[in-house]
Amino acid sequence: MAEVRISGLHKYYGPVHALKGLDLTVADGEFAVFVGPSGCGKSTLLRTIAGLEEQDGGEIRIGGQVVNDMRPRDRNIAMVFQNYALYPYLTVYDNIAFGLRSRKVGEAEIKKRVDDAAGMLGIAALLARFPRQLSGGQRQRVAIGRAIVRQAQLFLFDEPLSNLDAKLRDEMRGEIKRLHRNIATTMIYVTHDQVEAMTLADRIVLLREGRIEQQGSPLELFERPATGFVASFLGSPSINLIPARLVKRDKAVAVVLESGEVLELPDERARGLEGYTERAVTFGIRPQHLSRAGRGTAPSGSARITATADLIQPTGTRTYVTSRIGGVPVTAELDAHDVHEQGIVLDYAVDMSRCLLIDPATDKVI
Amino acid sequence: MLMIQNPALSERLSVFSDRNFKYLMIALAILILLLVGLFPLIYSLIVSFQNITMTDVDTSFAGLLNYKQLFKDLRLWQALGHTALITAIALPLELIFGFLLAQLFLEKMPGRQIFVALLVLPTVLSPIVAGATWRLMFDVRFGPIGQILSFIAGTPVNILWTVNPTYVYPAIIICEVWQWTPFMFLLLLAALSNVDQSQLEAAELDGASYWRVLRQIVLPAIGPVVAIAVLIRGLDLVRVFDIIWALTEGGPGSMTETISLYTYVIGFVQFDTSYTAAVAFLVVAVLSIIVTYALRRTELVR
Amino acid sequence: MRAAGTRHKRGKLVLRLAVATVVTLMFLFPVYWLFMISFKTPDEIFHAPPLWVPGKIQFSNYWVLFKDGDVIAIWNSLVVAGISSAMAMLLGTFCAYSLARFNTGGENLAMWIISQRMIPPIAVVFPIFLIYVYFGMVDTYAGLILLYTAFNLPYVIWMMRGYIVDIPLELEESALVDGCTRWQTFWRVVFPMARSGLMATAVFTFVFAWNDFLFALILTRTEVITFPVMLTHYFGGQSNFWSKIAAMSVLGTIPIFVAVTLMQRYLVRGISLGAVKG
Repeated sequence: MAEVRISGLHKYYGPVHALKGLDLTVADGEFAVFVGPSGCGKSTLLRTIAGLEEQDGGEIRIGGQVVNDMRPRDRNIAMVFQNYALYPYLTVYDNIAFGLRSRKVGEAEIKKRVDDAAGMLGIAALLARFPRQLSGGQRQRVAIGRAIVRQAQLFLFDEPLSNLDAKLRDEMRGEIKRLHRNIATTMIYVTHDQVEAMTLADRIVLLREGRIEQQGSPLELFERPATGFVASFLGSPSINLIPARLVKRDKAVAVVLESGEVLELPDERARGLEGYTERAVTFGIRPQHLSRAGRGTAPSGSARITATADLIQPTGTRTYVTSRIGGVPVTAELDAHDVHEQGIVLDYAVDMSRCLLIDPATDKVI
Repeated sequence: MLMIQNPALSERLSVFSDRNFKYLMIALAILILLLVGLFPLIYSLIVSFQNITMTDVDTSFAGLLNYKQLFKDLRLWQALGHTALITAIALPLELIFGFLLAQLFLEKMPGRQIFVALLVLPTVLSPIVAGATWRLMFDVRFGPIGQILSFIAGTPVNILWTVNPTYVYPAIIICEVWQWTPFMFLLLLAALSNVDQSQLEAAELDGASYWRVLRQIVLPAIGPVVAIAVLIRGLDLVRVFDIIWALTEGGPGSMTETISLYTYVIGFVQFDTSYTAAVAFLVVAVLSIIVTYALRRTELVR
Repeated sequence: MRAAGTRHKRGKLVLRLAVATVVTLMFLFPVYWLFMISFKTPDEIFHAPPLWVPGKIQFSNYWVLFKDGDVIAIWNSLVVAGISSAMAMLLGTFCAYSLARFNTGGENLAMWIISQRMIPPIAVVFPIFLIYVYFGMVDTYAGLILLYTAFNLPYVIWMMRGYIVDIPLELEESALVDGCTRWQTFWRVVFPMARSGLMATAVFTFVFAWNDFLFALILTRTEVITFPVMLTHYFGGQSNFWSKIAAMSVLGTIPIFVAVTLMQRYLVRGISLGAVKG
C-alpha cells in the first residue's frame, strides 16, 4: 500500500512561506503530476515528501505510515533527479546496483534485478560503460533503472526530462508512461511543462505560490478549470482571454466585447448566470474553439466575429492565426487550408458552448 | 613628438603593435623570468663542472669531480633523508587534519566566515614568525607547552624541544603542521563544497553508509584537488628552509639539516662554489622529474 | 509546530559549534601567546611558571624597536614587497592576458612558466648572489625588488590567466568592433572586469614577498634589511631578546592579517593556484 497522504503541510525558507498548508492524496498506483510556474513550490513539495527537506508543520503519510521524522533512506522511496545524479566513477551496472549493495542485497539477486531493469529500459548493452560515455537519454534511463531495482513503494521524478532536447523528451515521455503501466507503482512527477503533465498524469496537481490551485484528472482541469489561472496554464497555445461584459438581451444572456461584438450564449450555458449580468467578465475561448465561418466545420449556434488575420503561423496541419479582437490579440487554431495570406479579413465562428467566463475580481470561473 | 609630426609612422606603429600585441605583452615578463630562471641554472651547470672553492678559483674543466663527491658526501644523503622524513610525516598529517576540519565546517554554521578567516592566520604568517613563536612556546622554563604537559602528566616535564635529539623532529613537525593544516583545510573545504549535491542526495535515498559515500563518491570527486594540494605542499616541504632555520638552525649539530639548509651551508658558509652548483643542480633535477611526472598525471586525470 | 527531527539537528549544530570554537582557540593559541609576550614586561616574560595573561598591556617593547631604529625593517619590507608586487602584477597581467586570449606559446610556454614557480630558491640563490655581487646590487632596493618581481611573476601569470579566462570574450570583441585597439581594449574592458581577481592576486603576491626570508637573508646587509631577517638577528639563545622577537613579529604580522582578512573571499582560489574556484 503506497498511498501518499499529505495534510496541512507547511514549509518556510527563512521568511518565505513556500508551502502554505497543503492537503493532498495520491492513491496507490496513481501517477500524479505536480505542475506549475517556477517558484510555485512543486519541487519543494516533492523534496519534502522525500525527506530531503524538512517540513515545518503538517503530516506526511506514505503507505499509511507517518514519515515526518523518518530519514529519507528509511522511507522506501526512489527518486530520479533532473541532472541524473549518476555516480561518475562507477559503471552503469554499479550505479544501478548501488542502492541494493548499500542495503546488503545478495549479488545474485542484484544481478537478476539489474538485468531485468536494464532489459526493460533497453540499456543492457551499456552496463559496463561509465556515465561520461553515455548520451543524455541513456543517462536518464540509467537513473530510472537505479530507481526501479530498489522496488520502492513510491517513485519521485524531479523534472527528469528538462535537460533533454525536444525530440528525446517526447520519446522518454512515452517510456515513462510505459514504465508506469509495467510496474504499477505510485509515482509523483514534477514538471513545469504542461504537455508532460497532460500526457502522463492520472491526476494533475496544479500549484501556485505554495497553494494547490486545482487538482484532478487532466481532462477535468482542461475542460472545467476552477480559475482563470488554471485555464491559461493548460493548453497550448493558451486560452484567449478577452475583457467583456455580461448583459441580458431579450431572453438570452450575451457577452459584449469592448469592440462592440455581441456574442450570445446558448441556453444551457446561460443557466445560472442571472446574478452576473451587467458585470464585467473575462471571456475565455480556446484557440481550438475558433474556426473559419462558412467552411461547415463550426458547430451550430456559434457566434460570429469578423477580424483581420494579422499574423499567420503555419505548422503543417494546423495554422495559428492571430487577430485583434475585443482590444487584445486573439489566436485561433485553424485548419491549414482555411487561410493562406496575411492581412485578409476573416469571419470566425466562435463555439460558445465551450467558452469560459471568469470573474475578473476573483479569477474564479463562473 | 615624432608621432605627432609623422602620422604615418604612428599609424604603422599602431598596426605593428596590434598585430604583434600578444608578443609584446609577454616580452618583459618572459625576459625577467629567463634572467632569473634560466641564467642561474646555466651558470650552475657550467660551474658544477669546474673546481671553484673558497680558496681556489679554478675554472678549468674538472669533469664529474663534483658529482662524484655527491655520492660520497654522507651529510648530503643525511640531509636528503631528513627532508624525506619531514615530508613523509607532515604531509599526511596536514591532509588528515585538514580533511577533518573541512568536514567540521562543511555544513552551514553561524559565524562560519569568522572561524575560517581566523583559522587561516597561521598559514599567512611568515614561516620565520611561526618558527619563532613555537621556539618561545617550547622553551623549557618560560613556555606554555612544558607547563601544559606537566599539568597533564602530573609531574614536571622538562623537555628541551629544540635541542634534545628525540624531540627536535616532533617540534619541527608540530610547528609545520600547525602552520599548514589550514591551507589543506581551505582547499578541502572548497573541494568538498563542490561535490554534486544531488549525487549525495541520491546516495542518501539509496541508503548508502557514510563510509560508502566517502569512498565511492566524495573521495573520487575531490581527487584532483587533493592531487594538486599534495603536489604544492609536497614541493614546499622538500624545499623547507625558513621554519627549520627559526626553530633549530639545522641543529643540534646537523640533525635537522634538510637539503635546503645543507646547500646553504655549502654555499654561504663553506663557499664551495662548484660543489654548491652541483648540489643545486641535483636538487633541481630531482624536483623537475617529480614535477613533470606529477603534472602529466594530474593533467590526464583532469 | 516543528518536526521532532529538528531538535536532533539543533543538538548536532551546538556540538559542532563547540568543537569549532575549541579547535579555533587551539590553533590561535600560539598567536595569542606571541601577542601577549609583546605586551609583557621582562619580569612577566621570564616568569616560571609562565603567565598566560600580562598584568597590564604595555607597549614598551614596541617603543624599544622604534627607538633603536629596528622599525626600519618594517619600512624596508613595505617598500620592497609593495613595489615588487605592483610590478609583478603589471607585467604578469600583461603576460596572462596574452596567454589567456591568444594562447601564446601554447601549452609549452604555460608549462614552463608554471614550472618556474617550482624552482627551489635554494638552487638559484647562489648564482644570483654572485651576479648581484658582480653588479654591486647586493643590499640595494632595486636588487631585491627585481628578484621578488621575478619570483612572483609565475604566480601572478597563472592566477590572472584563470581570472581573465572567466571574463566573457564578447565584451572584448564588442570593443574591438567599436574601434578600440587591443591595447585600449585591455585597459578599458579587461582590467576593470578583472578587478577583484587583481586585488586578490595582489594581496597574495604581497604576502609572498613580505614573508620571504632566504633571498632577503642573502641579498641584504644593513641598508635594505627586511623584517624576517631582522627577526632572526634576535635569536641566539639570549633570552632578553624575546620581547623584541615578539614585538617585531607582531609588527610584521599585522599588515598581513589586515590584507588577508580584507581578501578572505578569494582565499581558496589564491592559495591553491586557482585549482579550486573560490
